[in-house]
Amino acid sequence: MRVSVRWLRELVPTELSTEAIAERLTLAGLAVEAIERIGEHWEKIFTGLVEAIAPHPNADRLVLATVAAGTHRLTVVTGAPNIAVGQKVALALPGATLYDGHSIEPRLMTLTPSTIRGIRSEGMVCSEKELGLSDDHEGIMVLPDDTPVGVPLADVLGDEVLEIEITPNLVHAFSMIGIARELGALTKQPVNYPALAELAPCGDPTLVAIDASDLCARFVGVVIEGVEPVPSPWWMQQRLRVAGMRPINAIVDITNYVMLEYGQPQHAYDRARLHGGRLIARRARPGETLETIDHVHRTLDPDTLVIADEERAVGIAGIMGGRESEIDEETRVVLLETANFDMRSIRRTARAQRLRTEASARFERGLDPNLAWTATRRAVMLFQQLFPQSRITNVADVYPHPRFPRQIQVPRREIPRLLGTDFSDDEILDVLHRLELAPEVIQEGHEQVIVVTVPTYRSDLTIKADIVEEIARVIGYDKLPERLPVGQTVPVEVDPLLQLVRAVQDTLVGEGLTEIITYPMIDEAALRALDPAEREAPNRYGFFARPDLPLVRAVNPIRPEWSMMRPSLLPTLLRAGAEHLKFNAAVSIFEVGKVYLPRGGDQLPDERRVVGCLLAGVQHVRDLYHEERPVDFFDLKGTIEVLLPRVGALDVTFRPLAHPSLHPGRAAEIVVKGEPVGVLGEVHPLVAEHYGIERHHRVVAAEIDLSALLALGLEPISVHPVSRFQPIEQDFAIVVDEAVPAALVTEAVRLGAGPLATNVRLFDVYRGPAIPAGKKSLAFRVTFSALDQPLSDEQLASIRETIARVVHERVGGALRQ
Amino acid sequence: MHGEIDQVRNEALAALAAAQTSSALAEWHSHYLGRRGVLTQLMRQISQIPPTERPAYGQAVNALKEELSAAFTARQQEVSAQELAQQLTAETVDVTLPGRQPTLGTLHPVTAMIREVTGIFARLGFQVVEGPEVEYSAYAFDALNIPQDHPARDVWDTIYIDSPGREIVLRPHTSPMQIRVMEQRQPPIRVVVPGRCYRYEAVDATHEWHFHQIEGLAVDEHITMADLKGTLAAFARQLFGQERRVRFRCDYFPFVEPGVDFAIDCMFCHGEGCRVCKGTGWIEILGAGMVHPQVLRNVGYDPERYTGWAFGMGVERLVMLKYGVPDIRLFYQGDLRFLAQFSRTTVW
Repeated sequence: MRVSVRWLRELVPTELSTEAIAERLTLAGLAVEAIERIGEHWEKIFTGLVEAIAPHPNADRLVLATVAAGTHRLTVVTGAPNIAVGQKVALALPGATLYDGHSIEPRLMTLTPSTIRGIRSEGMVCSEKELGLSDDHEGIMVLPDDTPVGVPLADVLGDEVLEIEITPNLVHAFSMIGIARELGALTKQPVNYPALAELAPCGDPTLVAIDASDLCARFVGVVIEGVEPVPSPWWMQQRLRVAGMRPINAIVDITNYVMLEYGQPQHAYDRARLHGGRLIARRARPGETLETIDHVHRTLDPDTLVIADEERAVGIAGIMGGRESEIDEETRVVLLETANFDMRSIRRTARAQRLRTEASARFERGLDPNLAWTATRRAVMLFQQLFPQSRITNVADVYPHPRFPRQIQVPRREIPRLLGTDFSDDEILDVLHRLELAPEVIQEGHEQVIVVTVPTYRSDLTIKADIVEEIARVIGYDKLPERLPVGQTVPVEVDPLLQLVRAVQDTLVGEGLTEIITYPMIDEAALRALDPAEREAPNRYGFFARPDLPLVRAVNPIRPEWSMMRPSLLPTLLRAGAEHLKFNAAVSIFEVGKVYLPRGGDQLPDERRVVGCLLAGVQHVRDLYHEERPVDFFDLKGTIEVLLPRVGALDVTFRPLAHPSLHPGRAAEIVVKGEPVGVLGEVHPLVAEHYGIERHHRVVAAEIDLSALLALGLEPISVHPVSRFQPIEQDFAIVVDEAVPAALVTEAVRLGAGPLATNVRLFDVYRGPAIPAGKKSLAFRVTFSALDQPLSDEQLASIRETIARVVHERVGGALRQ
Repeated sequence: MHGEIDQVRNEALAALAAAQTSSALAEWHSHYLGRRGVLTQLMRQISQIPPTERPAYGQAVNALKEELSAAFTARQQEVSAQELAQQLTAETVDVTLPGRQPTLGTLHPVTAMIREVTGIFARLGFQVVEGPEVEYSAYAFDALNIPQDHPARDVWDTIYIDSPGREIVLRPHTSPMQIRVMEQRQPPIRVVVPGRCYRYEAVDATHEWHFHQIEGLAVDEHITMADLKGTLAAFARQLFGQERRVRFRCDYFPFVEPGVDFAIDCMFCHGEGCRVCKGTGWIEILGAGMVHPQVLRNVGYDPERYTGWAFGMGVERLVMLKYGVPDIRLFYQGDLRFLAQFSRTTVW
């Protein structure tokens, strides 16, 4: 809300600077987000009087105006179409700072004397746009007739505007009077309330009617005859402008002015255009339509509250009036509507019609029905001031269930109980008085209770904590001490999943991968792209099987490509990988995030914690010591082989895997304790291509379900003694069929080597003339060590025989001599 | 014959002095002191010596052998030292060439900040818990005293999830975990909840539709707003420096009453007013307040017995303030060159 400080100071006289006012209001809950200074650039701009106008000798469209301002009398060349002798205008002298009238963006410039078509112009008469008051550059701004001449324009028009954020609870402060009341309470100043007309119902009581009493608590109608749509007085226009509203005519301006002043929206109808000359608040009829004053034809659903005459809707209640009954040139009799509408209904309708107005913003917060009468009296007062010849011929007030002030009982001890500090009784009661809460102290048993009477405009105060807040915010939270909580200390437990996540992150960072966080939302195209043929979503998303149920889907996604919660990290990893490859030759990234597996119905999805890793491009950029080479399967396999034991998964195996998104010959299932927990593989080149990764890049990805891994149980550290005898290393070369997986041979060697073998390391795979075709030779280096004795040659020879036997039995292998 | 011994001695010592390398020394050793070397030959000649002179001759040869052995050892040490010195000289490298660096990754700054913040609160006795991102409206709004069709809901522009029954949303804040935690436990409660949140919001330099929050909740008998201020002050000073001044200002959140905004004095201008603090000298870093009695009642707690406070902060904003990150979009749309700059982030 834009608050004119000039206006505010008129309502609450205060010595405080504008900055101090802003700070007081901010700390008390009315956050001043900015202070705008109107006229801060106006040092060389004065009020002037147009004394004479002569044609420009060399230009048809220009005139020479003689403008007097104090002792100055300047000749100004202007093309303003609306300039006339006798006008009071804003006169800028050379050196003045003005906004460029022809620039769309606000752009400041300095006025220099110039010669236009041979005539020297000694100054400039300004448009509103040039002064920074509005976007109007149609003609010059004409000041009111009573403007003194030759004074700085800032004295007449300068103002400061507080941009105040009105939180949803603050309906009582959504007006000048409301802000003034707050400032008055904070600064102990009384508010100068504006004058109200004396008014009582008269004439036809059926002038207005409520036909939907659940949606309309009060309806006040006033008929004012003898008005005209003339311009409103300058001061009113100026206040509307400062508040960000456009002056229309005196009738409309009065309603807008009262809304700014009191927070109560009103609407003025041309009574001549109302069938039956009366208004009814009712629900819209099925299929009913209305053209609103913004020239939009709207279809109204039957939940919409409308204001109607005897035949048709003439306005959407609390939001916008209809075009047909709008005030226009011929309007002479006005029916002024001041009503109270249900906040939820207004909000629903405003959302449904996508129409948020100054009025709806106020009604949505829940206005006080008693305010309707006050605002009516204020509007009538303004009509009488602006149209002294006008007559009030009919006043009707339908208010079936009047609202009265509520009482709230606040036990005295509630204040320290919530705040952790206390204030003196005097201070507390003083604050409550200043807030017009009429506090009374009563004794209930052993307890003192403060009873406050809450004016109906304070709809935000309903419970005792609200009153405690009132006390705290007015006295000031700076009075609150800083303490740490007292009471029972609870042991802090650590969630094992969070521990696992942390260990995974730290290990992968140590292994050279950079953590990324991606938007966890995708679209169908991203799923289809996981299939090499891109025909339809594959049966498997990364590690996870394609769910039978539809994925978790947003009704109102930010963008179509973020419409579904991801069922795997693979799509978002690939998307990030493609992005990073544009700027980096070597990409090694991981994300620890969630996948969202649907459970069906209205159950929340299974949010599983998953780690995804991706290597792409080159394994190592070329440097003094490394040749560049593309990443491959074993780079990431090694990462995983280090990761899993490090976090306590010891029984890890890798099984060949056929996976739709992965290279048919370079993909593996990651198995822990016999259970699949993840997948690893080179991404199928076509899949990578679908994600925008060029064919020449290799991409390796892995996805591991950490929730599943944790459920399998992770091994704690177990320590065993180490031998003090020199370990012995021996090499064994095993010749097997090409098809035998290395893991089986390794397992056989380990089994044959028995418990004395402390380490079995595959160090070479050989194919070539030294061994038969179709075979390969795997070379292992085995480290032996016994705890209690050095190993004898006999023992080693016996182990060698066992290894030979076991590899023969298990994998049909032969030990090369 | 002694003349011959002297001659051998002179020759041998001269040759030894001339030997410059280990291999020359080895050659010298085998020539003079080897099994078929000169000294062995000399000793064999003893048979040609008259018997009476034989003892003296033998002694002289033996003495020479010992002398030469000792000289050899000494010379060997010299040569070895020389050779090592030459080798080391030859091995000189340009120490300004780059080393073989192991690659080190980086934690995402949001992860690092969550660890830092939750670490601070863990040391104050708060347990870290997490909750669902896809959440029932009942938890995200209703139980938090944010009714349907209330303008308060506008504060949380929400992404809704397709659901045939109960209304489901992407949680727009971590606050629903207040409800879940209170439903699952009894006071005393002290938890912090980090996690992802989502809003239906246009993305710009300071707004993201996907972001992280950290929620805090303490409920017990005798929990007061002064504790809230002290706890948040302790937190802010650990994160942003011990000299920070702190400020509460009245603010509105439907699930707390009283509600406040918590600010620290601007560390960029020390309260003078600058662009970061928009000239106010204060930087608001989180919203907080006393848990609304209705929220306590909603989870079956007696608000006459228990009080509590809650707070919620945006993680990205904390990172942006602490490290001067100019644009929130860098976190999720930026690249590795942005993330790599956080390799020095201190992590507890």
